[in-house]
Amino acid sequence: MRFDASILVDYWPLLAEGAWLTLRITIAAFALGYLAGIAVALLAILPGRLPRLMASVYIETLRNIPFIIILFVVYYGLPFSGVRLPATLVGTAALALFASAYYAEIVRAAILALPRGQFESARVVGMSPAQAMWHVVAPQVLRTLVPPSTNMTLTMMKESAVLSSVTVPELTYQSLIVQGNTFAPFEVFAAVAAIYWLIAIGIAEASRRLERRVGAAQAASVSANPIAARYLSLDARRPS
Amino acid sequence: MTAQPILRVSALSKEFRGTRALNEFYLDVAEGEIVALIGPSGCGKSTLLRCLTWLEQPDDGFIEVAGRPFGRALMPRGVVRRQSRREIDALRPKIGLVFQQLNLWPHLTALENVVRPQTVVLGRARAEATRRADELLGRLGLADRAGRYPHALSGGQKQRVAIARALAMEPALMLFDEPTSALDPELVGEVLTVLKSLAATGMTMLVVTHEIGFAVNVADRIAFMDAGAVIEEGPAREVVANPRTPRLRSFLDLVLDRAQVPSGETLALPQTE
Repeated sequence: MRFDASILVDYWPLLAEGAWLTLRITIAAFALGYLAGIAVALLAILPGRLPRLMASVYIETLRNIPFIIILFVVYYGLPFSGVRLPATLVGTAALALFASAYYAEIVRAAILALPRGQFESARVVGMSPAQAMWHVVAPQVLRTLVPPSTNMTLTMMKESAVLSSVTVPELTYQSLIVQGNTFAPFEVFAAVAAIYWLIAIGIAEASRRLERRVGAAQAASVSANPIAARYLSLDARRPS
Repeated sequence: MTAQPILRVSALSKEFRGTRALNEFYLDVAEGEIVALIGPSGCGKSTLLRCLTWLEQPDDGFIEVAGRPFGRALMPRGVVRRQSRREIDALRPKIGLVFQQLNLWPHLTALENVVRPQTVVLGRARAEATRRADELLGRLGLADRAGRYPHALSGGQKQRVAIARALAMEPALMLFDEPTSALDPELVGEVLTVLKSLAATGMTMLVVTHEIGFAVNVADRIAFMDAGAVIEEGPAREVVANPRTPRLRSFLDLVLDRAQVPSGETLALPQTE
């Protein structure tokens, strides 16, 4: 057996097309999923039982179902209720849904890790809850969000391969086609593995740059021990 | 008491799952007066401050700041109306609170800590807010520290930034939660000086503390609190010198005793230089 690179030369436009779609799906699902994740995280930290319950049902449901099943439920569920949309759109939405539950957990945990006194001191000077979030909480939380969000985004990018099972012509789908045409699975999948790896490297690098940009001034909030601050603040004596 | 008090608290009550943290708490603070609130830990001091700033909603009772009802208003014919979040937020700048843990915003410089609330809450122009912040920081001896982040400031400096942040909102009343407790003992004098200089400008203050010496030095009046209510109050020195209630007497015995180690005791402390 010999590694036949000519197959890749012949079929690279298909693979490139697939890779480009995988990248676009990942970016779209990231943006959509993160927005939904933030919304669910805010719901989870709202006072009152009902919003918290809604958020936890959302998160727990999505986290405890394999992604391929979420995909099938969405993909077959929509036509079932009379909505017909292109597979790529539906697949991206399912991927965003899947990722949003994890993003929500990441955002929620980051906000809760910030000492409560930060939010309270903003409220006490007269800021509204939204202003306190925007001016005081969000800038401090941003940096802690980057590493776990990167992990999740990488996982999600790799899960996008599952979309091939509902005919979304992304990288894995294209590689299956090329493989079917050429009967050279090893050459094709080795090349596809390399392409996925390159996309992942790109995401990791983007995250490193982002972290550096939001980093500098926030070092202090990380070094101050949040646990100590939380339990020593004015609310310390409130029986729970 | 003469004119309208700056702070009037009446029958304030707060219960936490069966524990009465505040039990019909009454207190008036007149304009320009400094009142020290003392009492054993767990007596409700912190809960009081949290209720006075509406971080915690009192179950019952009324708060009036500079003659305006805060949180809850008594309407004609005895109807109690709860204020909306907006109404409460609008009055909050009038009550400056300096947290025990200060809660400065670590991602902003000292100057920005003082500027941001002004621009966001009061809608002041940035230039104007910066001018005021510079002036306040200068008055508090922090002119050369304005550009630093909180982690690069000493405990005393951080506290003064927190005070400046509250003062920038032009409060009618300043609340201090244990201002000496987060600092090294040798800085207590520094806090005292700052509070005294604030008093000289006519600022009204309510200082929660458990340091009797500090309370006597800084306050015009001391209110002693136990089990969620004020049990004894009066001119600072008099209250400490001649406590009337047995509870205050035993409290004073306890804290003053601890301050001066009994001479006969053999404390096995190593004598260090």
